[in-house]
Amino acid sequence: VLGPVMISERWRERLTYLAMSAFIGWHTLAVVVAPAPDSRVTQSLRVLLQPYLTLFWLDNSWDFFAPYIGKGYKIRYVIEDSAGKSHAFVPIDEISWHHPMYRRMTYWFNAIIDDPDTYADRAAALFCQKHASLRPVSISLIQVQELEFTPEDHLSGKHPLDPEFVTETILKHDACPDK
Amino acid sequence: MPGQVTLARLGREVTAAFGQAWSRIWFQSMTTTPMEIARIGIGAAMLFHYIIITPYLLEFWGEAGFMPRELVYQIDDSIWSQSVFFYFTAPWQWFAFHGFFLLCCAAFMLGWRTSWVKWFVLVGQISFGARNPIIWYGVDKILNSLIFILCFAPIGRAMSLDRVRAVRAAKRDNLEATLPPYASPRAGACTRMIQIQMAALFFFSGVGKRGEEWWNGDAIWSLFTTYEYYNRLLLDLLASHYWLVNAATYLTLLIEIAFPFLIWQRATRPYLLAAAIFLHLQFAVLLGLPYFSFVMVMGHMSFVRQEWLARLAAWWKRSMGDMEMIYDGRCGFCVRSMVWFLSFDGLGQIKIRNFRSNPSPVVSDAQMEKALYLVLPDGRALPGFEAYRYIVPRVPGSWWLMPLFYVPVFSRLFGRPLYNWIAANRSRLSAMMPGSPRPLMK
Repeated sequence: VLGPVMISERWRERLTYLAMSAFIGWHTLAVVVAPAPDSRVTQSLRVLLQPYLTLFWLDNSWDFFAPYIGKGYKIRYVIEDSAGKSHAFVPIDEISWHHPMYRRMTYWFNAIIDDPDTYADRAAALFCQKHASLRPVSISLIQVQELEFTPEDHLSGKHPLDPEFVTETILKHDACPDK
Repeated sequence: MPGQVTLARLGREVTAAFGQAWSRIWFQSMTTTPMEIARIGIGAAMLFHYIIITPYLLEFWGEAGFMPRELVYQIDDSIWSQSVFFYFTAPWQWFAFHGFFLLCCAAFMLGWRTSWVKWFVLVGQISFGARNPIIWYGVDKILNSLIFILCFAPIGRAMSLDRVRAVRAAKRDNLEATLPPYASPRAGACTRMIQIQMAALFFFSGVGKRGEEWWNGDAIWSLFTTYEYYNRLLLDLLASHYWLVNAATYLTLLIEIAFPFLIWQRATRPYLLAAAIFLHLQFAVLLGLPYFSFVMVMGHMSFVRQEWLARLAAWWKRSMGDMEMIYDGRCGFCVRSMVWFLSFDGLGQIKIRNFRSNPSPVVSDAQMEKALYLVLPDGRALPGFEAYRYIVPRVPGSWWLMPLFYVPVFSRLFGRPLYNWIAANRSRLSAMMPGSPRPLMK
């Protein structure tokens, strides 16, 4: 005969099993729906799952180097000082490739290029502030876009960032704030 | 009526079969060891990474830096996106939280109070991501997914200070006591969730590579010619042997697409696991992504079979040989020290003998009055300091003591005299320690 303790133990086990099963089902669904391509089914499931995915930062597309690699691009900026002299900087070159912040900085600089309307003002202000000793008057943010670079180009001793393999576009030209 | 009865029975049988299959897939009783390896690796990687980025804390996650709060709200206004950094106002609060977070990462790595520390690690990781989502990339995404699952897992039950504490508590009453390895269906379920996470990641990463350069076999060339991953030496090789580019591109696709399908089978798992680890070693070395690659490899640990680990442990024990520690069971301090030291012997490599109740045929009682001894299978007997020095590299749980015993000159100059002094004064030390375990006397 099972005593009350044994019965409650069994119920506790069953409840744990049910709760864990529900969580597993829910989480696995979220893990699969988050990166799945848009469709009517995934969209309706997303309505349900989105708060969970957002709160725990599980909304990942896992699109590493996908759908394509694309050409590289980086930002450089030119500061004009009060004497009219120009000073050029490539911010990503200021940190070692091996430094853990290198990747994060790359994403930040790429964001300025991808969405200058949102980030360029802030970036320009901070770059001016960083070089306050130059007494900066204005700043130009420039996108350096890599072009096609073939094996033959490499074998002939050229570099992907040589002037013939890049184009430059001014993203923003602004006056530096006074302070 | 008979038709309804048959239908009801069929329904019950189908439900029972589904229940059994569900339990077999998700709730097999497993040890936590693969997840503990992942915990240690992830904790160490995060600790190292977040220590290094400390000088950039305010610049990238602070209010006066690149990403003021209004800018974050501008790109992500969901109320579900939360960060503790949103509620800070003064710089010292950033540093105080960061310091606490680093301590939690260290505790997570060591398995100290794991059951609650893991939640702080998750909150910290999410907070960094939500405060500056622009610089949140692949490694953070996979870290978050793994830590989230680990939070629901019963981790800290092996290869941890929590385990050491549990073993020590058992040995306090009886030095010979052992704790069986922890295993539970919950551990099995969480291991399976990590496996599914890794398989889903590979699947979507593989099928997402639909771009022409992937299917034309040129992706690896494109990758190494971008300034981020430019590698002159490698390009020298690839440019003159372009077939390597095609092979590497297609091999990457093959591994990523095959992994989620073939990792489950007993026969193919070792190859897929080796291939995935090989792929990530390439990412670490050639793409300069050691943090990402290391965390991915830790995720792959969930696929390490328990029998592989058991065989590895058995091989290690066999290679290191038997070790018998002979101690003075009448000395409370000695027993307490043995309890402490043996708690780190997770593989149970050390046998013990109390010379008061069970005299050794190798070491005389007179010798034992002076020091603890370690007897090896070849009959050698190492006293005191030398005994510990022999054990430390051979017992994985005590590897952290290596610097104390193996710093050239220092260890022998100070270690041996210190040990001899403790051995000579052990009675006095025993008397000074309240609550010492009861000496084992005949």
